[in-house]
Amino acid sequence: MGAALAERLRTSAPGALSRVWAAWLFAAFCLVGASGAAGQTPAVLNPAPTPTDWAALGRLPDWSGVWIPESWAVTTARHPPTWKPDVAKQVDDLKALEKAGHPKGLFVDCLPEGMPSFMIMTIASTEFLFTPGRVTILNEFDGNRQRRIYTDGRGHPDDPDLTFNGHSVGHWDGDALVVDTVGILPETYLPISQAVGIPNDGDTHIVERLHLVGPDHLVDDMTIEAPHVLAAPWKVTRNFSRTRERRSDIVEASCRQGDFVEGKDAQGHAAFLPIEHTAEGAPLAPPQTEAKP
Amino acid sequence: MRSQLTAPLAAALLFAASAVAPPPAEAHHSFAMYDPDKLLTVTGTVQIFEWTNPHAVIWLVASGQAEQLTDRWSVELPTSPGNLTRMGWTKHSLKTGDRVTIALNPLRDGRHGGSLKKVTLLDTGQVLTASGTAPVASNVK
Repeated sequence: MGAALAERLRTSAPGALSRVWAAWLFAAFCLVGASGAAGQTPAVLNPAPTPTDWAALGRLPDWSGVWIPESWAVTTARHPPTWKPDVAKQVDDLKALEKAGHPKGLFVDCLPEGMPSFMIMTIASTEFLFTPGRVTILNEFDGNRQRRIYTDGRGHPDDPDLTFNGHSVGHWDGDALVVDTVGILPETYLPISQAVGIPNDGDTHIVERLHLVGPDHLVDDMTIEAPHVLAAPWKVTRNFSRTRERRSDIVEASCRQGDFVEGKDAQGHAAFLPIEHTAEGAPLAPPQTEAKP
Repeated sequence: MRSQLTAPLAAALLFAASAVAPPPAEAHHSFAMYDPDKLLTVTGTVQIFEWTNPHAVIWLVASGQAEQLTDRWSVELPTSPGNLTRMGWTKHSLKTGDRVTIALNPLRDGRHGGSLKKVTLLDTGQVLTASGTAPVASNVK
């Protein structure tokens, strides 16, 4: 590439002076390239899957179809977390607010719900995609969230960038997928409802065991360690039931479309017009005396 | 190590945000602002059926006798078009001009909003609800 650059400079700028400049530039390019290569870790490549890799997928359990979760209320009531005493008081206060009709909105800002909410709180459907070296979980929840679980034998990065869903690696233990997740943003909630939850505050580690317990019944057995807010690891199981009805196929699910009503802008173009909400997030229609959108 | 805002800077930013920021996004919210112990029936005409995420919404022009039942109501369905489809709804389940009676849990603060429990189309008698999605296997833990 450096030689090609020098050649282009030489041919596009005839004359002795230009040739000198081209030589200087070529030398500088080589020096920068050499020092850069010396300071970099060799690139790790994801190998192209072989026909054998693709064929191996056929021996995995059949998780195709669309998986509908049980009610989150059932999930968290069956397996409540054990909060640290000071955090338990905060949880009680949030429950009181919710009961009084002033729920704290955990997910009203449309940031990704993150882990473990991705698995515990979703009320929308989920699907699992198997490809060589990876399981991908797609969720319809509030913006079509997704998780990538690497099953190619890699470990976690030494210093992962913190993200809402964290960094997940997994392996197959018989017919069960065992997933280990770290690197979750500390602001991500540990939720027991859509209005009651506490930020994990960091250093959260989640181990999941996903497996079939019936032909159309999948469970996610989770153990959640959040040492800053939990007094003990939170063991919680979410149940999913399978449907193969085509009408249940996962669809687009934007997070904030409901904050608007379809109308016309000043130029007469189709446009989303913002609508009023209560402080808790309930949409309101304009009074009947106002013009229709 | 992640950088953290100092307390004074965080307080200053919060103050600035409260002064100039647009209203926050609402999106996916709890339904606790609706009173589950109160069931109100509102009759009227569908003005808009918004087939939107995360919750579909009906604007209903009420035609009741009582004063509070003659305004425009915003009736929120408790879930998304994806889940509603799994329950048998479509974007055509309701259309502008349909005469309906809606049973709803109203907002606790008295404003004209509610969470849909049941809608009856008066011209056909069809009844639609929006609770549950699909049965989870019975042998759950």
